[in-house]
Amino acid sequence: MTLVQMIPSIIGLTSGMHSMRIFVVVLLLASFARAQKETPLPKDIPPYGPEKPLATPSVRSVTLDNGLSLWLVSEPGFPKVALTVAVRGGLAADPANRPGLSELLSKTIDQGTGTRTAKQIAEELQAAGGDLTASATKDSVEISSVVLSSRLDSAIAVLADILENASFPDAEVTLAKRNLTDSLEQREAEPRFLASRARDKVLFADHPYHVTSPTRDSIAAATPTDLRQVFAQRFRPDQGVLIAVGDFQNDKIVATLKSAFRFWKTPANAPASAISAPSVSIDHAVYIVPRPGSVQTTIELATTGPKLGDPDFEVTQVANAIYGGAFSSRLTSNIREDKGYTYSPYSFLASYLKAGEMISHADVRNEVTAPTLNEIEYELNRVATTPPTEEELSKAKRYIVGLEALRLQDRSSLANRLATLWVAGLQPEQIGISGKKVSAATAAEVDAVGQKYFPAHRSAIIAVGEEKVVRDALSSFGLPFHTVQ
Amino acid sequence: MKFTVGKFCFFLLLVAALSYPAPAQQWKAPTSMKKLSNGLIVVVSEDHSAPTFGLCISYGIGFRLEPEGRTGFAHLFEHMMFEGTPNAPKGVLDRVIEGGGGNNNGDTRYDHTEYIETAPISALDPVLWIEADRLKTLDFSMKNLENQRNVVEEEVRVNVLNSPYGLFYAIDLPGKAFDTYPNAHNFYGDFHDLDAAKIEDVKKFYEQYYAPNNAVLAIVGDVQTDEVFTKVDKYFSAIPPRNVPPRPKVEEPTQSAERRSVETDKLTKVPALAIGYRMPPRHSPDAVAAAVAGELLHNGQASRLYQMLVKEKQVALSVDGGVNWPLGTPFEFNGPALMTSFIVYPTSVTEDQLLAAFDANIRDLIDKGPSQQDVDRVVTKMRSDWYGNLENPIDRASALSHATLFDGSFDLVYQIPEDLAKVTPAQVRAFAAKYLVATNRTVINRVPAPKDKDQDTAKQPGGAQ
Repeated sequence: MTLVQMIPSIIGLTSGMHSMRIFVVVLLLASFARAQKETPLPKDIPPYGPEKPLATPSVRSVTLDNGLSLWLVSEPGFPKVALTVAVRGGLAADPANRPGLSELLSKTIDQGTGTRTAKQIAEELQAAGGDLTASATKDSVEISSVVLSSRLDSAIAVLADILENASFPDAEVTLAKRNLTDSLEQREAEPRFLASRARDKVLFADHPYHVTSPTRDSIAAATPTDLRQVFAQRFRPDQGVLIAVGDFQNDKIVATLKSAFRFWKTPANAPASAISAPSVSIDHAVYIVPRPGSVQTTIELATTGPKLGDPDFEVTQVANAIYGGAFSSRLTSNIREDKGYTYSPYSFLASYLKAGEMISHADVRNEVTAPTLNEIEYELNRVATTPPTEEELSKAKRYIVGLEALRLQDRSSLANRLATLWVAGLQPEQIGISGKKVSAATAAEVDAVGQKYFPAHRSAIIAVGEEKVVRDALSSFGLPFHTVQ
Repeated sequence: MKFTVGKFCFFLLLVAALSYPAPAQQWKAPTSMKKLSNGLIVVVSEDHSAPTFGLCISYGIGFRLEPEGRTGFAHLFEHMMFEGTPNAPKGVLDRVIEGGGGNNNGDTRYDHTEYIETAPISALDPVLWIEADRLKTLDFSMKNLENQRNVVEEEVRVNVLNSPYGLFYAIDLPGKAFDTYPNAHNFYGDFHDLDAAKIEDVKKFYEQYYAPNNAVLAIVGDVQTDEVFTKVDKYFSAIPPRNVPPRPKVEEPTQSAERRSVETDKLTKVPALAIGYRMPPRHSPDAVAAAVAGELLHNGQASRLYQMLVKEKQVALSVDGGVNWPLGTPFEFNGPALMTSFIVYPTSVTEDQLLAAFDANIRDLIDKGPSQQDVDRVVTKMRSDWYGNLENPIDRASALSHATLFDGSFDLVYQIPEDLAKVTPAQVRAFAAKYLVATNRTVINRVPAPKDKDQDTAKQPGGAQ
């Protein structure tokens, strides 16, 4: 095919260490040359206008008598309200013999109460203009709906019934188990799912943070009683927050919520204790997830990053935006806009209560698997060894602060962000504090987190694809290979 | 010409819906429109809830009208719009927008191609300059074309060739359901065609379609309407209009028989069915009822198909779909369209069993029609979803831009909830009886490839040779 002809330098690559090394040197020179010539902006482009302060959300915090926290953001005008409820304890809190039970819980929590069937719940929410989304994170279970403000009271009534009285009917659980098994099969066909599942197994080993989804065995073993037990343990008002963002009056919604949750009581027993932090040790090795028939290799480099609330978090965000967290970042400029290896390279921080991850991702045609890994490692090491330019630093800071303001304009995004903060024990003011820390980040600070987190040898390499393709392509790196599922 | 709707504040319009006991809450944002002398239409909607803006410029060209022998070209061309100009070389656009705290993207669809940005308001002037700059000329660089050809081919790999189901419900289904090139071809592009694209093709396409008189620029956010009109005038008014080719007819010959086919998929172990019914033209009397029927059947867990196929008969794992799904809303297209159902089903169920249950569901809709309560409920949900589509400035700019591009006016954006409220169960039933019939549909069953054979079945969709 003509594709291969266009990139002849790559063909000889798999033959051995020697050609690999030559390739690396050439690329390093080429990349430095590129980095040094930052073209000046066009002369006649108008400058940015005066900055208007990006307001942080004004959150009213209320605790009901039963212990339920309410975080309310009243934004009258646009006729919708985003509701999110989060409780502490997610995938990492599941019983060891039921990995991923929280996911089954999130699929069944809206499938019936003492007085409503699954169908009635779905129809009542639809009549309020909403759907119910329930999902399990490592540290929480979250339930959300975005509804018309004119139908807010009926949506709250349904939500309250679910939170207090979810009954996990046997027939619904049986069906959900079957469908979840099939959907696991479906997801196992997706390279990104395979990559993230392998990644957390490699990073977190035996710690419960390694769980990203249930297994066939854990689904088969799960019973309605398991679900009812976990539900009773976690869904207690003192372990939860209800967040509302949108078109309502604070006093009125507080009264409605007080009344809706008046029967929900915090039990006398102590809540489940928090999980411990994982101790992570990472081998700079290649972990292959075989996926027969792949025409691309999905490459992820994964390492530890700052956890939620870590003092390094904001500066690492800045370093990440320079590295691969924006379109004009180094990684995208290099492997997409310069070399055309991939459509969708990106990097991101995934931060949890007790740990954090830093991930680089690219899906690339089989032929360029090796040069892509080479470039990703090169760009990681460049962040680890050289401070950013002034333009890079200022662009990254403005990007993070601006994007955050744009994102939090969206009612459901703000509700979800607040839920994450609450679960981490942080306050709404953290949004503003983080913004200030980003804006204040210096080149020296970015350089320091670069040295701390970015050296490529800190990363495990996950490669999802045709096993032989990956092995042949990456053998010249001289790294250990492991096969994982 | 200048239209102004409303005043500079939000207002709630309470109108009694025709049938539902509770009054329907209608929402509109103040919005104004102006046409420059070069034909560029500008739409502005003020929203002072945050110091940001969203911008969308839509061009009246999508993949439906890309040339034969150049499948995928409209989308490849969209990528070239980000590759710089003689004034602002490759990289400047992203540096300026991201450095302004914002984000940008582009989307190619059947009948339009949009370029979107959102950022803090301080970046409005440079962003307008950039949009005007790439409407003057581009850097027609062979090197950049080669680069973006590679990027686009990786995009096709990640979304189609290396992906379970390979978007067969979006690419192969119209390919089988329609008979003429504009509606049936593989819009993501056969590699043979993408490889054949030349820099002359890029130039010609640009000169034909990327003209101010073939575009609508919408800006939503923390702006003063008159100031925006002045700014747009400053940056865009010197760009000359072009002779845009007249829009050819894209109607399809009538379908007379059901079309069935089977595909194999070596990347999945779980089979799926795609069903596509040809839809009435967008502004025909049945069109709004079609949209309502599409959502009655597909919208969430309350939908008729989910309730019957997933819950009651337990012959499906998931159901998705609707009119113009998954490439847009039921209101944003300008040519032949399908109502698509994408149903993933367990290996223990046969295609016949699934289709029998599906047909019984459709039959029930035709025989009994929906209840008034069903229609009220789904119309409320559609209103809520539509408002959701107008919540963020960038999305509202898109909706305003598309409506104005297709109809010359943004009125439809605010009219949709009112039109939906007027739909009756009898209209939905009449629509279903006329359109949701076997002779008007195409069905593709996508099954896992047999494991032991080394069949290369994850071939390109859309009849690639």
